[in-house]
Amino acid sequence: MHRWRWLMHIVLKSLAYRQGRSLLLLGVLAMAASLVTSLGIVSSAMGLRVAEEVRKYGANLVVLPAAARIEVGSGGLDFGTITEPAYLPQDALLRVVGNEGVTEYSLHLRGHLKAGALEMPAEGVDFAVIRRLYPWWQLQGGWPGADEAVIGIDLAARLKLKAGDRIRAAGTAGAREFRVAGVVSTGGEEDKLLFIPLARMQEALGVGSSVSQARLLAQTGGVTLEQRAARLQGLLPGSVVREVRQVARTSEGLLKKVQLLMALVTAVVLIAAASSVASTMSMTVLERGKEIGLLKAMGATRLGVLLLFCGEAVVLGLTGGGVGYLLGSGIARFVMKTVFMVSAGIDLRFAGLSCAVSLCLALLGSAGPMMSVFRLDPVRSLRGE
Amino acid sequence: MVTDIIETRGLTRSYGEICALKPLDLLVPEGEWLSVMGHSGSGKSTLLNLLGGLDRPSGGSLQLGGEDLMALSEDGLARFRREFVGIIFQQHHLVPYLTALENVMMAQYFHSVPDEAEACSVLERVGLGQRLKNRPGELSGGEQQRVCIARAIINSPKLLLGDEPTGNLDHQNTGMVMELLKELRSEQRFTIILVTHNREVAAWGDRIISLDDGVLVREERTRR
Repeated sequence: MHRWRWLMHIVLKSLAYRQGRSLLLLGVLAMAASLVTSLGIVSSAMGLRVAEEVRKYGANLVVLPAAARIEVGSGGLDFGTITEPAYLPQDALLRVVGNEGVTEYSLHLRGHLKAGALEMPAEGVDFAVIRRLYPWWQLQGGWPGADEAVIGIDLAARLKLKAGDRIRAAGTAGAREFRVAGVVSTGGEEDKLLFIPLARMQEALGVGSSVSQARLLAQTGGVTLEQRAARLQGLLPGSVVREVRQVARTSEGLLKKVQLLMALVTAVVLIAAASSVASTMSMTVLERGKEIGLLKAMGATRLGVLLLFCGEAVVLGLTGGGVGYLLGSGIARFVMKTVFMVSAGIDLRFAGLSCAVSLCLALLGSAGPMMSVFRLDPVRSLRGE
Repeated sequence: MVTDIIETRGLTRSYGEICALKPLDLLVPEGEWLSVMGHSGSGKSTLLNLLGGLDRPSGGSLQLGGEDLMALSEDGLARFRREFVGIIFQQHHLVPYLTALENVMMAQYFHSVPDEAEACSVLERVGLGQRLKNRPGELSGGEQQRVCIARAIINSPKLLLGDEPTGNLDHQNTGMVMELLKELRSEQRFTIILVTHNREVAAWGDRIISLDDGVLVREERTRR
């Protein structure tokens, strides 16, 4: 019989012989591994879930052109700083956002148009993106099609317009008539704006394919939003990338606190489990003193005896890890369904994590008792001392 | 010409201030059956542990099969035990969760490679062909001792050590075990050192030495 096959055979027989103690160890390891698995799955899913929630609030990064700033002064007098309108090249923006963890983006071109003699602030946008990215927009009327506009509720009142009316808006480079498809009310600055399709705004202002602002929804997995913003800014010379701080920062901070709490709970449970494994293994070694003495008397080296004990720890560790993964996945699914109202999928990465944690616990917990195996004297062990 | 397999000069073993074995000079020729007699605490088990490489002497020299045991490391002693020595214990010391066959194969595992066919044939040789799959708890004392003998001889040792191997057996089983040892010795030509306090058992050997308080007090040849 092959030596490794024999070793496995002996290890399994030994574990089966002490089935009560083996089951106890297995239970402890499976419990610890299931906790790591379930908290890992929940924590990871929480991150995605929070990102999803953040997504509902819209963008978390804003890209603005770094406006030309000129210090104005004469002699000892300082007249302050003046800024000139500046734009971002649309093509460069699209190239960068496609590769930098940005899942959604909206491009905006802000300017002033004239309706008759009245000047009004207007913004060119892609309505399909706005509808997806800003679900809280309350619209009276409908979403616009081509050559249609949305007007903010305050501006509509000022111009005495309602859904279905028509408005002629003129920019520095051209004028066009739009049908007002809907009146938007957000409680924010949108209420004072006229929204028209981006391409029409670019024509009206004569700025080619430029925009004045891009709002991005960037994933924060693996890096902080701050790091993501800094990276984007490096890739977009002439721009300033800022965080939409309130929502993103709060979500990130809360998530980090919850994850820290989970990590602490896990650490406490793992330490308790390792202590439990250590005490059970110590008792096993004490009970098996004569057996160890016999093996040494038969010519087993200290490493040879150690290998038997390590084999038992490995089998228990891997089995505990497997059971823990199944158990932990079940718990995670239950928690996700009842607390977050979403279903968690099967993530095999956590099977590896669960087995690794359980194996480490079994080996670490056995380390002390195994060292005493190393030192046992065969004559005294056989005498039962 | 018969060479000495064991040679001790001034061999001693002390435990703190207690001297369990006082300076002992002993020569054992290859193939001899030496019985060691003595009362409890006379030092006979101490001598056996030293000869089996289970314990280290406090002084003197100890040569076994041309190897200086004093110079061997822990792992060197382990190698010596598995390649050179077979031990039969009074308490049998069988692994309780293994069958008779597996107990014998365990000794093969530490020596080289477990070989089921060879282990079966040795167990059949000691009369346990029908008890291969039984655990120690399902065997009588005599049967357990025969498993112990099979385990001790499976790796063809040059030296077979017995520490009161019949101490727990009745008269009938004692006779069977001693007869078996005699047959095996004539087949395999190993040297036997057998510790006993039973004169009848000691008489199975070629020579008897008696220890008292760690000192060799008598040496006699048997009629066998």
